[in-house]
Amino acid sequence: MIEVRQLRKRFGSVPAVSDVSFTAPNGGITGILGENGAGKTTTLALICGLLRADEGSIQVGPGESTPIERRRRVGALLDHKGLYDRLTARENIAYFGRLHGIPPPSLQTRVQNVVSQLGLERIAERRVAGFSQGERMKVALGRAIVHAPGHVLLDEPTNGLDIPSVHALREILRRMRDQGACILFSSHVLDEVRALCDNVVIISHGRVVACGNTADICRQAHCPTLDDAFLALTGREVIPS
Amino acid sequence: MSRTFVVARKEIRDHARDLRSLVSSAMMALMGPGVVLLVSLSDRAPGQDGARVLLGMLSVFALVSAFAGAIDIAMDSTAGERERRSLLPLLLNPIPRSDVIVGKWIAVTAFALVALALNSLGVVAVLAWAAPFLLVTRAQQIVVWVVLGLVPLAALGAAVNLFVAVLCRTTKEAHTALRFLAFLPMLVGMFLVFFPSWTGRAWFLLPIVGQQTLIAVREPSAPVVQGAILALVTLVASVLPLVAASRVLNRDDILSA
Repeated sequence: MIEVRQLRKRFGSVPAVSDVSFTAPNGGITGILGENGAGKTTTLALICGLLRADEGSIQVGPGESTPIERRRRVGALLDHKGLYDRLTARENIAYFGRLHGIPPPSLQTRVQNVVSQLGLERIAERRVAGFSQGERMKVALGRAIVHAPGHVLLDEPTNGLDIPSVHALREILRRMRDQGACILFSSHVLDEVRALCDNVVIISHGRVVACGNTADICRQAHCPTLDDAFLALTGREVIPS
Repeated sequence: MSRTFVVARKEIRDHARDLRSLVSSAMMALMGPGVVLLVSLSDRAPGQDGARVLLGMLSVFALVSAFAGAIDIAMDSTAGERERRSLLPLLLNPIPRSDVIVGKWIAVTAFALVALALNSLGVVAVLAWAAPFLLVTRAQQIVVWVVLGLVPLAALGAAVNLFVAVLCRTTKEAHTALRFLAFLPMLVGMFLVFFPSWTGRAWFLLPIVGQQTLIAVREPSAPVVQGAILALVTLVASVLPLVAASRVLNRDDILSA
């Protein structure tokens, strides 16, 4: 479970996150929905210990929740462009496994499991240079989950992907959820959130303006659809269809 | 395996596959001996004084080779990581950022040492051709100069280059900055070749000046003690840019593209 309370973060004089609190349960997919610049990526970066919060508390799983401990417990895919082109897909994944301290005897098995889980067998021994966006995303996801984390964070993971890749990713996320993982992902695409998420957190100007399942959100905004609710909650005019 | 060495191993493996960069680094390392060989072939540097000039020229190129012999990997492993956006996923791993920097430094130093070894082979080959008596009379001094002077300088150069490159957002930006930095040992080395009176004992503790002093002094025995002290000072000095680079890596803005 991921629990965030009254998170605040400024970059100089610019407030990126002003007041963010929510809970993402295990065995569920929680979507952070917001416009560009709403504070979604900063919130994810704070949760996985990449940035230090100015105020607030973050709990990822039970026990101690230092940034380095959070990085150990979380598998995060914040950017699927950053692969090492001269390494093969398998080497990219194994590198992150080693950085997570997976001992060599079980590393090979873990990497092979991830390769099979993501359907990367055909390209596992190829260097990453020249991979399609979908293939790069899968390798980046494999890297993020090689240590079998109980919490998975994804930042707009379907950006730039074709339809089959989007469907493949959704299937992978559903499978991880069914295995009990806590999945948190940000998006500004309403269809994606509707198709995938059990819970939704709407962020606007660095603040949580609503959270709950789709029906809860619509009820809170007094709107019939999630699209209308999103527009109403983020202070935009709802255009009657 | 320590995670610092995991980073180092990955950087070495990754960069070893960059053939163009390897060829370019090898050419840079052999450029000095090549130029000096041409000078010796032109027969404009005959006799003992000429041989000393040749050694002076070789020493300057060796300084540059040790200090800046691995700037390609320094750029690729820092500014390059930011540019291709692989730094963010790397920092998501449960490893202190100081360990990331030290891992990269080990890799950059390894490549700098290979460049230095290549350069040293070139130096020996040129001296064997153009001034064989120097190889006989100053063999010990040359060994002390390389082992206690240039090897630690490679470690310092790797640390300084990493620090400068980690401040840059793109490899192009880093390339410009590091090329300027490579002039530092060249300028200091050339100055000391043309004004050898400055290679006095008061300066020998200063990296680069000290290395040049080790090869410039003409004493009956090799300056082992002086070299050992200089090696220690140079290695300790490497810590400062590494600490500074770790601090840069801990800044929030390091994650912005």
